[in-house]
Formats: sequence, C-alpha cells, structure tokens
Amino acid sequence: MRILAVLALTAFVPAIALAQSAGEVERCFQNPAACNQGGGGGGGTAVQATPPPAGGGGHATTRPAAPAPDYTTVLQSPEPDRRKIQESLRTLDKYNGPIDGNLQSDATIKAIQDWQKGRGTNPVGKLTPQEAQQLNAEAARTPIRRVDPSTQTATASATPTPVQPPPKSNADALKDLQARLAERRRAAEPKAEAATQSLIRDLKAYVAADGKGVAGDQFADFAKWYADTKAAGRTVGEIAPVIDDYGDVKAGAAVATEVLLETKKGASNQSQCLVFAWVEGNPRKDPKVFSCDDIAGVEKWKTDQSLKSAWR
Amino acid sequence: MFFGWNRAVMNRIFGLFLLATVVLASGAWAQPQGKAERRDAIFLRFPEMAQRYWENPDTNAASHKVVAVPMPRQCTFLYADSYSKGQMSESEVQQLAVSNCNRKLAELGPLGENYSVDCRCQVVVSNEHYVVPRNTLPTESYGPVSIFYRDPTGNVARLNGLARYGALIGRDRSVTFNVDNPRGERVCDGTFTNDGPASGRFSLSCFSGKFSSNGTYQSKTGSPNDHIIARGHTGQGQPVSMVIGLPAQLAGGLYGGI
Repeated sequence: MRILAVLALTAFVPAIALAQSAGEVERCFQNPAACNQGGGGGGGTAVQATPPPAGGGGHATTRPAAPAPDYTTVLQSPEPDRRKIQESLRTLDKYNGPIDGNLQSDATIKAIQDWQKGRGTNPVGKLTPQEAQQLNAEAARTPIRRVDPSTQTATASATPTPVQPPPKSNADALKDLQARLAERRRAAEPKAEAATQSLIRDLKAYVAADGKGVAGDQFADFAKWYADTKAAGRTVGEIAPVIDDYGDVKAGAAVATEVLLETKKGASNQSQCLVFAWVEGNPRKDPKVFSCDDIAGVEKWKTDQSLKSAWR
Repeated sequence: MFFGWNRAVMNRIFGLFLLATVVLASGAWAQPQGKAERRDAIFLRFPEMAQRYWENPDTNAASHKVVAVPMPRQCTFLYADSYSKGQMSESEVQQLAVSNCNRKLAELGPLGENYSVDCRCQVVVSNEHYVVPRNTLPTESYGPVSIFYRDPTGNVARLNGLARYGALIGRDRSVTFNVDNPRGERVCDGTFTNDGPASGRFSLSCFSGKFSSNGTYQSKTGSPNDHIIARGHTGQGQPVSMVIGLPAQLAGGLYGGI
C-alpha cells in the first residue's frame, strides 16, 4: 500500500513541477521583461522575478494597480544606450535624424510616438526600460536594414559588430508561419490567376453576346443581374477581378473572386461588386454569385465546400 | 474720451475674435474627413451595425445616420449607431449615439484593469462621412482581454490586458492576435484558426513560450457585448480560458470560475 502511494506521488510530482503556479504567471504577465531574462523556457517554468505576494496568488486574486511608467531611467541612461535607441528607431524606419543620443529632440520623440502608435500603446514619445528593450529587440530582428546614403560614408569606417542572433521568439515563429503561408500562396497564384482569367473571358463573352454564353448558364444570379442592368438601360463596361480565395476542396480546386463590373448610362457610371465562387471543372461546379457585402454568405459557401485555403 | 472709445472698440474686436475662434474650433472637430464606405474597416469590424447602416431599409434611409465608438483606437470594442426619427437634427442624432455608446461602456463596467488609456465615446461617422481623421481609426480589431489559468494547486491567475487581432475572424482562415498587459508590453501571441463561421481553434503563447495553451474558441454576439470565449489547456493539462471583448470584472464574473 505504501509502495503504491509512493509510486502515485512520484508520478504526480513531475506534473506539479512542470506546471507554473498562478502567482508566477501573474508576475510574468505584469513584468514580462524580468520573466524573459530569467530563461528556463524548456521546462515551461517561469523564473520568479519578484517575491511572491502574500497568499501565493490565490483564487480570484486582484492585481495591484500598475505603477506609474518609469521614463526617467531611459532618458538618463548612458549615451551609448540612448544612441542605440535612435539606431533602433532608424532601423525600423521611424527615425531619420542624427544619432546624437538626444531622446528629447522633436524628431526622436516623434519617432518613438510612431513606434508606440504602431504597437497600439499610448504614444507618449518616451520609453520605459521595458519598451526600450523591446524596441532594440525588434530592431535586432528586422532583417532589412535601411542604409541612409548620407550617413553611409560616415559609418563605413566603423567595423560593424556582429550581432548575436536572438533566440527564436514566438513573434519569429509567427513570421515563419506567415512566410510559409506566403510561399503556399505564391505556389497557388498561377492556377488561381488562370481560373479567374477564364471566368473573366466568359463574363466578357456573355456581355459581348448580349446575354448568351456559359457565364450566364452557370451563374444564374449573374444572368439575372445582367438582364436587370440591361433593362435599366445600362451597358456593362470594364470587368476587373481580384482573387478573394483559392484552395482545395474534395472535388478539386475552389475559387472565390471579387469582380468589379462597371455599368454606364449616358454620363453616369456605376460599379457593382460581385463575388463569383465555384469549383473548377468543365462546366464549373457549384457556381454561386454573392454581393461583395455578403461576407457571411461567401464564407458559408467556403465552409460548405470544406475549402482548405492556399490563399489566406 | 478718445481713449475710452478706443478701449470699447478694442474690447468688441477682441470679443468678436474670441467668438470666431470658438466657432471655428467647434466646427473643426466635426468637419468631414472623407466619405465612409461600406467596406471600411470600422464597418467590417461590426457587421451587424454595417447591415443597419448600409442595407436595412428601415435605418439605411434615415435622414441622419451616426456611429459613435470609444476612442482612441484600441478602445473600439463596442459601438453605437443611431438613426434619425421624425424631425431629429444631425446634432441630436450625434448626441444620441454618444449617449448610447457611453451607456454601453458604463453597463460593461470599468476598463481600468485592461487599459492604461481613458476610453471615451465620440462620433466617428455622421451621414456617411468621417468626422475624425481616418488615421485615428482602427484598421485592426481591438478588445479588452482576460486570461484565466488554474494551476495544479487550484489557484487561479487572472491576467487582464488588451488584445489586438490582425483581421476579421470569420472571414480569414487564420488570424494572429497578441495580448498587451496594461502597461502596453506585449506578453502573448497566438492564432485563431477558423473552423466555422463563429468557432474554431486557438493557440496562445506567452512570455517567449514559457506559458502556452491550445483549445477551441467561440464568437458570441449580443448581450452583454460581442465577445470571444476561448477554452483550452496548457501542455500540462491545466485549464485556461481567454475572453476578448469584455472588461476584466465582467469577464471574471462570467468566465472566471474555471
């Protein structure tokens, strides 16, 4: 019996050791910089950056109000640190002024405000130590560095110090994911483009034949729209597509394309935006036309098709 | 005598100058900043409001149509749209919209645990024209966020801040989001992957991956406010809930008991 209890305990203890305490998670949330500095990510256990509060972060804890932001530390930091901030702002294309360490110049304040606006934070134009750290880290991760021709000769003599690649952050992982999605989209582009151009040819042929052709046969709502437009005495002009989505479904490849149709009557020009959705085939399968405003309808069609998008 | 007359004239001129300044200043905020379009971000963010504003014949045809939202941009997680009835003036409809927006904010409760900025309702669209600079409006979706985590000993962490997601959930297959704490520091990143019109899967990673969770989410519309509730577990099997769109106290009351 005692052996069983010991075995159960040894099986249970690692689970507790790996899981973070609620207090640690709250402290990391309130002070992520200190938490990140502690490392220890492999085990999923955050380093205790600050002493645990009384009660150990119990159920229904209420956090104390956030302290007033500390801007003086950065403003009074050593000149190399202040220059570094300006360089980071320049790397991020926010700043084009001199690297003089003056964080209170109009250009630097504006650059900091722009950076803060981009993150959706209060654009105060001053940085807390955590913000400065995040700004420098963001600049270090930026792969494309803008070279200002006017300063290129001045900085060319200085030997560039190799920057240690930072550990792969979650933001980097997201960027990688976005890059993979972009690559997948690039691979799909030729097929999506060909399918869309085929549709546009059919639409133009239908208009040229004054309401006859496969476009009307397949897209009944388009035929109705054309008949209504014609009855209103309007003629169809430019037809311009924008691919909305493309991907695989069970029956093949599905396409959703926004098409802007211009109509004219005398000097009056109007435009109508329609989404054409179909599954590739000859003839096209499950063809459907939506108003561009009917986002829910388009998405429902895709969901009904179980579309695996290669576009988004 | 001459001096007294001169001073009276000067006072009158100064008074006229003051009046002109006040008139100009009061008109400046309401000056049109461009025509609103059905597909603008603010209408895509709130599709039900867009439907009333642009399509519903009962409201679309009103003489005056006004949208008010809390500002600055990170506060725009709710809205109020108002439409004229009878002989209501544009100004009256604007006041009604702001009043309704403020009432909604008040009903949802204080935002101080989520935001470090003061969220105040203001008119942003009036009669299909923007009345605030376009660049002050959100191009992404924002909302207060609360994350609840129960550790193995039963203690619950409540993490309140601001969530920002890059596109419209429901239209895009996969949407990234991030969470800032009230000091504006980014603490978490994640993704919503859309399985249906209002549901799907989510993943969350905070503090450089030291705390992470996966699970499912649902978008809920209507009272008390449109919001997303995501429920999942950490790698160690501990429960995590995340609520986007409700202030901390309300989110805790509705979903905090994990």
